[in-house]
Amino acid sequence: MTPFSEDELKAKVQDGYIVESPEEMTEGYKKALIVQLTVQADTELMSAPSYWRAARYAPSTNTQVSAHAIIQDELAHANIAYRLLEDLGESKEHLVYGRQPHEFKHPYGFDQPLDNWAELVVATGFFDRAGITLLTDVHENTSYGPLKRALVKIGMEETFHLRHGEVWMKRLAAAGGDARDMVQRAVDWMFPMTIEWFGLPDGMKRHSGQLDYRLKGLTNDQLRQVWMASTVPLCESIGIDVPAHYDDGRGEFVLDYPFPCRYDATEKRWFFGEGEISWDDVFARWKARGPMNEVYVESIQRSRGDVGRWLAGQAA
Amino acid sequence: MHEVVYDVFARKARGDSLCHIGYVDALDDETARVYAWRTYDEENWFEMCVVRRTAIIPVNRDDGPFARARKGVGR
Repeated sequence: MTPFSEDELKAKVQDGYIVESPEEMTEGYKKALIVQLTVQADTELMSAPSYWRAARYAPSTNTQVSAHAIIQDELAHANIAYRLLEDLGESKEHLVYGRQPHEFKHPYGFDQPLDNWAELVVATGFFDRAGITLLTDVHENTSYGPLKRALVKIGMEETFHLRHGEVWMKRLAAAGGDARDMVQRAVDWMFPMTIEWFGLPDGMKRHSGQLDYRLKGLTNDQLRQVWMASTVPLCESIGIDVPAHYDDGRGEFVLDYPFPCRYDATEKRWFFGEGEISWDDVFARWKARGPMNEVYVESIQRSRGDVGRWLAGQAA
Repeated sequence: MHEVVYDVFARKARGDSLCHIGYVDALDDETARVYAWRTYDEENWFEMCVVRRTAIIPVNRDDGPFARARKGVGR
């Protein structure tokens, strides 16, 4: 039994109290933490097949190694997050191998195909920057001790992914011609996709308890600003256009397109000209999942049953 | 496949404290050694050890993952 009421625990964590064990958690705290960790674990896990499929476009043995090193890191991060969930009474076996593809909680961006080297490096530059933005905030603010400690390793490695992505974006953009055009095309669909990743604007945000329980410190809009503060200047410095700019008057980055808006996953194209759509439309698109959802999940799950039966001495 | 949890301890350099750095799920001690070394490769560790969570004996606390493992709750 938890020693605290919901209100007592909220007050304690706002005052700096660090929760170390499930026994100290209220139902509300535990539920909010499980949701947060499931999204984190699923995101790390599903980035792996997405990057793995794209690693075949690596242009050298060295880049093959670095791409696969990133994939290895992502799988390890997923493992760590699922391990934390097990300590909360969840089953990793079920979470990884027992769910249908549409039941995973990763962002829509990791349901998309990455079809060339430029798309892989922009994905590591943008998506991993989003990941590090979210997880740095969690690391600095979370009231859950085991997660805070786990994020030390994760933060170090995500920084490497990000550097890899950004260095290659710079290199391709500087080469000009087709190389630069490929980066621009990747940025054109991945920039708005990452912006959307951070979720509902603060004014529309449903109450999740994550801030009350101090499982994170910044709001969705604040996190979006942190991501843009790194990404927009990077792209501007290498001559790549992004649909956002810094507004001196407002003292923040603003988007130059209707947000949110319609996306065609087959064409990898946003329809800025059609104006703003509702968030219900966005949620419907996310819920339907993207074109690679089943392929990616199947690539994670496919061998589990057979090998398990071999080890149990049964015919597969 | 029946995997169990192992806790991972390591020190970066001579003279450092041995710290709890994470955990792996593994089939046995040998796979636990490999998974730990491969998973926690963010440092060039001077020393790393793995311990089956059920082998850790809590001294002063009756809650948390180690106590739960001793009681047979979770893996």
